[in-house]
Amino acid sequence: MFEKVLIANRGEIALRILRACREMGIRTVAVHSTAEIDAMHVRLADESVCIGPPPAKDSYMSVPAIISAATIANADAIHPGYGFLSENADFAKVVEEHGFQFIGPSPEHIHLMGDKIAAKKAMEEMGIPVVPGSDGPVKDAGEARKVAGELAYPVIIKATAGGGGRGMKVVHDEDGLAVAFELARTEAEAAFASDELYIEKFMAAPRHIEVQVLADFHGNMVHLGERDCSLQRRHQKLIEEAPSPALNEAQRLSICKRVVKAMGKLAYRSVGTVEFLYEDGKFYFIEMNTRLQVEHPVTEMICGIDLVREMIRVAAGAPLGFDQSDIRFSGHAIECRITAENHETFQSSPGRVVDYHAPGGLGIRVDSALFSGYTVPPHYDSMIAKLIVHGANRNECLMRLRRALEEYVIDGLETIIPLHRRLINEPTFINGDYDIHWLQNFVDGGRDSGGA
Amino acid sequence: MSKTPESEIDKNVVRQLTRLLEENRLTEIEYGRDGWHIRVVRGEAGSHQVSSGRTDGQTQAPAGAVKSIDAAAEIDHSNTITSPMVGVVYTGPDADSLPFVKAGDEVTEGQTLLLIEAMKVFNPITAPKAGKVKRILVTNGSPVEFGEPLIVLE
Repeated sequence: MFEKVLIANRGEIALRILRACREMGIRTVAVHSTAEIDAMHVRLADESVCIGPPPAKDSYMSVPAIISAATIANADAIHPGYGFLSENADFAKVVEEHGFQFIGPSPEHIHLMGDKIAAKKAMEEMGIPVVPGSDGPVKDAGEARKVAGELAYPVIIKATAGGGGRGMKVVHDEDGLAVAFELARTEAEAAFASDELYIEKFMAAPRHIEVQVLADFHGNMVHLGERDCSLQRRHQKLIEEAPSPALNEAQRLSICKRVVKAMGKLAYRSVGTVEFLYEDGKFYFIEMNTRLQVEHPVTEMICGIDLVREMIRVAAGAPLGFDQSDIRFSGHAIECRITAENHETFQSSPGRVVDYHAPGGLGIRVDSALFSGYTVPPHYDSMIAKLIVHGANRNECLMRLRRALEEYVIDGLETIIPLHRRLINEPTFINGDYDIHWLQNFVDGGRDSGGA
Repeated sequence: MSKTPESEIDKNVVRQLTRLLEENRLTEIEYGRDGWHIRVVRGEAGSHQVSSGRTDGQTQAPAGAVKSIDAAAEIDHSNTITSPMVGVVYTGPDADSLPFVKAGDEVTEGQTLLLIEAMKVFNPITAPKAGKVKRILVTNGSPVEFGEPLIVLE
């Protein structure tokens, strides 16, 4: 097993990885920018290294800085967390070339799945249905018009190198196509340094359902069920739950088995998430995330497996200590992402946390690096906490979530907790009867009618 | 803090830093924000010294442990060269050579003072202006963080 792991991340996920390391008796090295000398992941780590100025590109995303930090701290392995360098195949390769173990998938798999068109082709070849769309990249607005006509409107334009909702444009008719195509191209170029685009059929009312897999380096692979992440705003997930209220046992088993079979053919290793749109009983592959995901705790809560610990174990060469038949799913879990944003305008609200009180009690888990007196820096993502609630069934889980949201106090800055409190009382959410457009409509509608 | 005039010290911050210093039994603590930094150093018999100043891009507030400085020493950061990257510092071109510079040497603008190795690349640290080397704060082969003070010129 590793003696020392460098955590190439910040915030709650750095803390999450640090906690797993601690429980495994592994020493930790935190890295931080000059804006985060007093951050919780730095305070709790065995060692810390300042790697650069506040902008992420000069610190948390600087490959030389992180490799140098691992070198001077004499770490054995690097965990990338999510975001930043976690899905950068070149980084994973450089890590291994410098003699460190990368705690994640192989650079080849990261590279394959990072190219959204290549990923769709690979999955299609392995018998996984994909969202109907252009056969490869679309060069210009003229070709886009032809493809969109064949698919029938509405369509969605996406960036080949994309992710996180950037470079995505929904087009409802031919009149809007040319403008949307150019906008998407500009956004993609700015966000991913690649302006390559492709087009997919835009589905009317799908759900976002994703399957979690875990594999060791010896060919053993399991699935850990699915998560329903249909509650999204601007293609960003806000609430995730497991299991999905939309699937029955047979549907669940069928999709999870197909994913394990396909991932087995790829000889995939470490953790990964295969994302689908689900409509009218059918699954359509959209993309695969070759990393630990923000919403991994809901899976951990229903199957009792520490995903970060398993990631570290398999990266060190250990075989999975269990097979599919050992995994028991129990109860229901929901995660609310809490961001430092106004709950109506979504204006970001960095600043000092004056008072902090996290909810507690049976079935409550808070993954957060917040504390009283902590200043949320303006340089990074606005997500400051994840509230994860587990119950024996979905109803118990919802009741527990309601009381946890009532307990939660984060004073001194604005958060979207009030939005979560509103959502928990919405019949559509309570009944699990939502699709990926519902939250956006709810938020937009709420603002229009309650505009006073 | 950013609105604090240059001549004034934010007493609250100093008080908090002092408390942190005592709670964690540190000998010194430094806090930087919005181009300001405040440094509290515990001297003999529990006394504290406070220094603060304006920093700019060239001389960022040092971060993390400042290992090789006398606990009681005060540093004028306007003449301090800090590390632009995390890496390993070398005082000379190779292990057997003499150091590039030593305390008391006169240096010219652009003259190489140190090397910092990051990912097998040696990056020269050069003098931003002509002057005299007052102190060298790092030893050959030691690891440095981003923003760590390296050399004081006068």
